[in-house]
Amino acid sequence: MVRKLMVQGVTSGAGKTTLTAALCRHFSARGTDVVPFKAQNVSLNSYVTRDDKEMAISQAYQAWACGLEPSADMNPILIKPKGNGQCQIVLRGKPWKDLGPGGSTSEVIDTLREQVLTAFHSNASGRELVLIEGMGSPVEMNLKDKDISNMWLAKAIRSPVVLVGDIERGGVFAGLYGTYLLLDEEERDLLKGFVINRFRGDATILKDGIEELESRMEMPCLGVLPMVRFRAPAEDSMDMMRVTGNGGGSGDVRQRWMAELDGVLEKWDGAWDLGQVRTFI
Amino acid sequence: MINPTEGVQDDSEENYGKHASVLRSQMRRGLIGANTECAHFPCHHPGQNCTFCFCPLYPCLDPQLGEYVTSKRTGGKVWSCQSCLWVHRDDVSESLFTMMPEIGERGLDERTRSDLKLKLEGMHRKRAKAIMVLGATSGAGKSLLVAALCRAFRDRGLRVAPFKSQNMSLNSMVTADGEEIARIQDLQARAAGTKPRGELNPILLKPKGGVTSQVIVEGRPYKDCTVQEYYSHFVPNEAPAIIARNLERLMRSNDVVVIEGAGSPAEINLRGRDVANMYVAKLAKADCLLTVNIDWGGAFAYAIGTLMLLEEEERKLFKGVLINNMCPGGGSLGDSLELVRCMTGVPVLAVLPHVPSLYLPVEDSMDLDQHSAAGSGTVVAVVRLPMISNFTDFDALSLEEGVKVIYARTPEELEMADAIIVPGTKNTVQDLLWLKESGMAAAILAKAKKVPILGICGGYQMLGRKIFDVHGLEGGGPSEIDGLGLLDAVTHFDSYEKRTVQVLGCLVDGGEVRGYEIHMGRTEGGEGPLFHLQPDGREEGSWNRERKVMGTYLHGVFDLPAFRRSFLSMIEHRDAEGTNGMDHDAEIDSSLDRLAALVEEHLDLDELLRGDGHGA
Repeated sequence: MVRKLMVQGVTSGAGKTTLTAALCRHFSARGTDVVPFKAQNVSLNSYVTRDDKEMAISQAYQAWACGLEPSADMNPILIKPKGNGQCQIVLRGKPWKDLGPGGSTSEVIDTLREQVLTAFHSNASGRELVLIEGMGSPVEMNLKDKDISNMWLAKAIRSPVVLVGDIERGGVFAGLYGTYLLLDEEERDLLKGFVINRFRGDATILKDGIEELESRMEMPCLGVLPMVRFRAPAEDSMDMMRVTGNGGGSGDVRQRWMAELDGVLEKWDGAWDLGQVRTFI
Repeated sequence: MINPTEGVQDDSEENYGKHASVLRSQMRRGLIGANTECAHFPCHHPGQNCTFCFCPLYPCLDPQLGEYVTSKRTGGKVWSCQSCLWVHRDDVSESLFTMMPEIGERGLDERTRSDLKLKLEGMHRKRAKAIMVLGATSGAGKSLLVAALCRAFRDRGLRVAPFKSQNMSLNSMVTADGEEIARIQDLQARAAGTKPRGELNPILLKPKGGVTSQVIVEGRPYKDCTVQEYYSHFVPNEAPAIIARNLERLMRSNDVVVIEGAGSPAEINLRGRDVANMYVAKLAKADCLLTVNIDWGGAFAYAIGTLMLLEEEERKLFKGVLINNMCPGGGSLGDSLELVRCMTGVPVLAVLPHVPSLYLPVEDSMDLDQHSAAGSGTVVAVVRLPMISNFTDFDALSLEEGVKVIYARTPEELEMADAIIVPGTKNTVQDLLWLKESGMAAAILAKAKKVPILGICGGYQMLGRKIFDVHGLEGGGPSEIDGLGLLDAVTHFDSYEKRTVQVLGCLVDGGEVRGYEIHMGRTEGGEGPLFHLQPDGREEGSWNRERKVMGTYLHGVFDLPAFRRSFLSMIEHRDAEGTNGMDHDAEIDSSLDRLAALVEEHLDLDELLRGDGHGA
């Protein structure tokens, strides 16, 4: 059976996409046949596959990190906001329908969940490892019965989960611990560890806090990842402003992205315990 | 009782008689307010009201206001009100003055005193009610909520002051007394209708690059500290007394003190070393509110996680959680609100909507990256120096019709600019090196004569010919470094002296300018000045008209419309008439009023104010 690992975040923008891409790169460089997956993505930055299907650019990026050609089943649901509360739903690469507020009825959710599982199995077929990215926070309790991307999926495919929190805006211990407290027993079983992202400075000052959190959550801290500035495809308009070209952009931008991702892996080397990660996937 | 002529404790019959006569004469002459002529002024705190040099209510025997001490002279017990500031508040002394009956030979009798005091207590709190706003993360909206509460309480006629024990910010400003405080506390003071001053933000950390920060104490530069030194020495040994004395003074001289926390109170790796959050809450016995920004997701996790990582006695100080920044159409939060109360015992008091287009200074450099690049028109590029400071200077520019302020990190972004500003920096020498290495310097030079280029403070120093730092005050050892040479100006860093002053003046071509200087180093310009400053017409800044290059030390230089108009009119093809004369101050006040209305609408402020300040 295919092995799995899912990356969930305490918030949007916690660094799930990069962490997943870096794991893709790491495992594929070691000869593992690895493939990315994200059930649904909200983005206006999409990519078109060789077979003319539309998917989020982030999963295309993760596919390149695996040395693979992007395929729509790596991101079966793409939600494209159109303004006025309307969204176009791209399902398995093709526009499916537009949904407005209140449009995600339980029938719609059931259909989408079924499609996500079909896409997941088709995407995973014949591979050794699937690296799955969650969406937003897994404990938006008001949205939980409509969850497609986080713990519902992890339970449905029995995937171990790591939780990543962003320390840059402060309160990372609270964010990680609060997320844990809001999970049910079965979900806590799937959660194997946590990662602190975007840290600046000397990580030893976090020691006491990490030890306290490890004992409260009964799971290890898998890494404190240093802040890195690098170029990657922008997932939303906000990122686009943050990351602008520096003139070194001759040649294929995809090669540039991969070189930058390798730079990230280099800077993270030793900051995370990938050996421990391997024990639970 | 304090002998008014000798300033010592003196309970003798004769002293009472002396006081009564001083008081009678004061009442007769109507001497109200501060008596700055007095040799002992200010015997309690700056700006104190001296209408009652001695208290007509003495001895009130109120343990919230004073205490029995042992008299040095007689060895007996005497009532001391040395630390009572109540009667020295403007509002309290005014009420007392109006209510005051005829004074007898030995002052007022006991019955009259107690009646007077009861009436006063009905009108003015003896000790402030402390309300503290803490955030689950940075950027949760603490600062603006504090400003909103200050304004709402002020509008109810209460005497209110903001307080933040420790702030880390590069955006500081200078008060009328030459004290340096974070710009955001200045805004809160304005919301509260109180004078901005160092005591509102007694510890201000200004990052200098690397791990070093300049520590400003009560508005004055104190010393430079590394993170390590700050937490291992300054926090345990010096911070507690600094925080306590400033907070205590505010508690004794206001009806409400609205306190702001810093970052998250649940940074459990700093347990026992955080003097900005629960430490202050306990000290002030404050009713606490936790605010969480819902925009990023995970808001309930942050709220619950924060509260559950606190000690139980800390958690009990929390009166509620405020979910902030809710977007319209954000859907129903359903049972999540009740879940927070069930899991933590703290209710969600309000869900506050996102407030669009507020005109208020931004705090963190993080926020800069979110300044929209949308829209078209005139592009003013502010060079995004690594140690950029005082970027609130540009808020007023972005108010102009058709002007877009962008923060440029790359030479390409400068190429498209219609005007360039090199802003202030916490480290001129290092940022100048960055400017050269990044290719930004060459891009700026290429734009000279074509578009207006303005250097402010550190940026002004960089545009000059040379910078001499013979003592290595900017860090990294003694240096002599070439500037961009766009101005014929030379800067010397020759002492650790820091100039912090508010200034008024006019443009050399006419029109008013207002601003403030915060800098080390002095600059000698070879060109004509930009401004003439009051009161003596001192020349400030440099202006090379042929190259369209300007330099000034004045922060806030764009706040009044005259210089905005002059600067923008140097851009070719720009219609100078398009410049609007919008008043920066009026815009800020109207934004504060909007915020105050918002908290009035969503929060039960009467309930928040209920209860005493938890005793003395």
